[in-house]
Amino acid sequence: MSQSIVLANIFHRPMRSLATILAVGLEVALILTIVGLTQGIVMDSAKRIEGIGADIILRPPGASFLMATSAAPMPIKISEALYAVKGVRYVTPVLTELNSQGGLDLIYGIDLPSFNEVSSGFIFRSGSEFQDPMDVIIDDIYAHSRKLKIGDHVTFLNHSFKVCGIVEHGKGSRIYLPIQTMQNLMGVVGRASLMYIKCHSKQDVPEVTKKLKELLPGYTVLRTEEFVSQMSSAINDMAALRYFINLVTFIAALVGFFVIFLAMYTTITERTREIGILKSLGASKGYVLAVFMKEALSLCLLGFLFGILLSFGGELLIRKIFPSLQIVLGLEWIFKAAVIAVVSASLGAFYPAIRAAAQDPIDALAYEV
Amino acid sequence: MKVILEAIDLTKVYKVGKIEVPALKGVSLKVREGEFISIMGPSGCGKSTLLHTLGGLCQPTSGKIIIDGEEISSARDAVRTDIRRRKIGFVFQRFNLLPTLTAKGNLEIAREIYGNGRDDKDHIHQILTLLGLENKVRHKPSELSGGEQQRVAIARAIINKPSILLADEPTGNLDTENSQVVLAMLQELNRKFNQTIMMITHNPEAAAVANRLIEMRDGKIVPHEHDVSWDAAKEDKIYI
Repeated sequence: MSQSIVLANIFHRPMRSLATILAVGLEVALILTIVGLTQGIVMDSAKRIEGIGADIILRPPGASFLMATSAAPMPIKISEALYAVKGVRYVTPVLTELNSQGGLDLIYGIDLPSFNEVSSGFIFRSGSEFQDPMDVIIDDIYAHSRKLKIGDHVTFLNHSFKVCGIVEHGKGSRIYLPIQTMQNLMGVVGRASLMYIKCHSKQDVPEVTKKLKELLPGYTVLRTEEFVSQMSSAINDMAALRYFINLVTFIAALVGFFVIFLAMYTTITERTREIGILKSLGASKGYVLAVFMKEALSLCLLGFLFGILLSFGGELLIRKIFPSLQIVLGLEWIFKAAVIAVVSASLGAFYPAIRAAAQDPIDALAYEV
Repeated sequence: MKVILEAIDLTKVYKVGKIEVPALKGVSLKVREGEFISIMGPSGCGKSTLLHTLGGLCQPTSGKIIIDGEEISSARDAVRTDIRRRKIGFVFQRFNLLPTLTAKGNLEIAREIYGNGRDDKDHIHQILTLLGLENKVRHKPSELSGGEQQRVAIARAIINKPSILLADEPTGNLDTENSQVVLAMLQELNRKFNQTIMMITHNPEAAAVANRLIEMRDGKIVPHEHDVSWDAAKEDKIYI
């Protein structure tokens, strides 16, 4: 029955209820979208690295999992030593750089012939390979999101490049420049950020990995699956990313707390007389407390459901407007968002509900709105 | 007749800032089962305070209240609440229905607080029929007339079969016609169901439906020449 008084109260002030539901929904959507985007970008990046088809990734000492933050201290000449290792079939050096002009994209500087050997080659949607040092190859998603076609000019690293080829997505990056051009522009001639290595067969991978570790002490030598797995869990391992997510979550939870607090505070002020009525009927403090907590949690539940809808709607919208951005709405974070929403709503409702429960029945009955 | 309620030397002092305002100054009375008592007196004489104190809505400053064998005056809030839930029914001048619920919802919530939930639909229907409200169950208070609202309030007050019904000027906000209807219903409840009722009123005509009249002045019950026993008072309206 108290359910019906809870529902009746929610419908009695539809605008206030709606505003509360919207705010809780935004809280949930904010958490899910930010976390989803962070995870989506990292996961997408990991997937694309996997898509290259290399067996082993070699990285310089102390390299971060975020490729964009890595310098380029690795001499390309190392590749000659790598070819000497038994079991290594192909090696391709890649120079990475973060492009912040007109977006946030990771650029790959590639040596096209060796990159093709490791990755079995690009599938061209249109155009062809590099014809000029100032040519750029982009993937279909990037081309679609920026409305670029063959022959268009686009600026990277403060220089204008001509789009010479549009390839199927899924091989490391979305933007590929000739490695020599990129080395010259960045002032790191003869160097690379990482090397992708292809072995003769999968059976060779453990042995090659072992040998490479012996050959290049201090370097990071990881099997691709291992690298991808570590990259995926980097979200939890990287302090800065963790702090960022925690901060966003905390702010969202704070919004939820204050929205519910204000809604319930105004509610109990407005319903002081009703509290007096319930008490005159013999309602205990616990009963009154439960009525208001149930109301807050019902609003929170509706807000959570709205937040889920909003997040999935936002995901569709993001995919449509920014096709190159990936967003992952995982069950784990949906559950976490629910817990955060419930905890913040409970805390927000608790003081007003306690205040309601402690009302003196005679004062409450005499209350005039 | 069994004594349902007994007040012994009740006092109640309100503190307004540093000033103490005595509202009850040693009130003693006994209410027997099946009595219909009217309490009259000028505004501020302590009638409502007496009713609230007897109903456990507030604690007396001193004195004793025993309701159906249970002493509530010194009981803590939770115990008074429990006794109020089980043994007291309140009717107020301003009806005090929950505005967001229908008439039936108002009755059901009283049942739920009592602890019976929705398990006694027949009883609810019986009371609604008795009070002529069977066609108004789905109406919210704002869709009911004053008289109808007060009848719903009475129905809510008696739905849990309380030992005593405390009515604080139940006709104070009603026109003459609706007042008569409400008073007739209270009288019927008293006669047919032997419901014990204490009713505050300013209206002598309303007071006349009771079978015992208590007059209050300055926080005290006004003593009268004849202290008439319940048996004698049962048939006549006599001041005591």
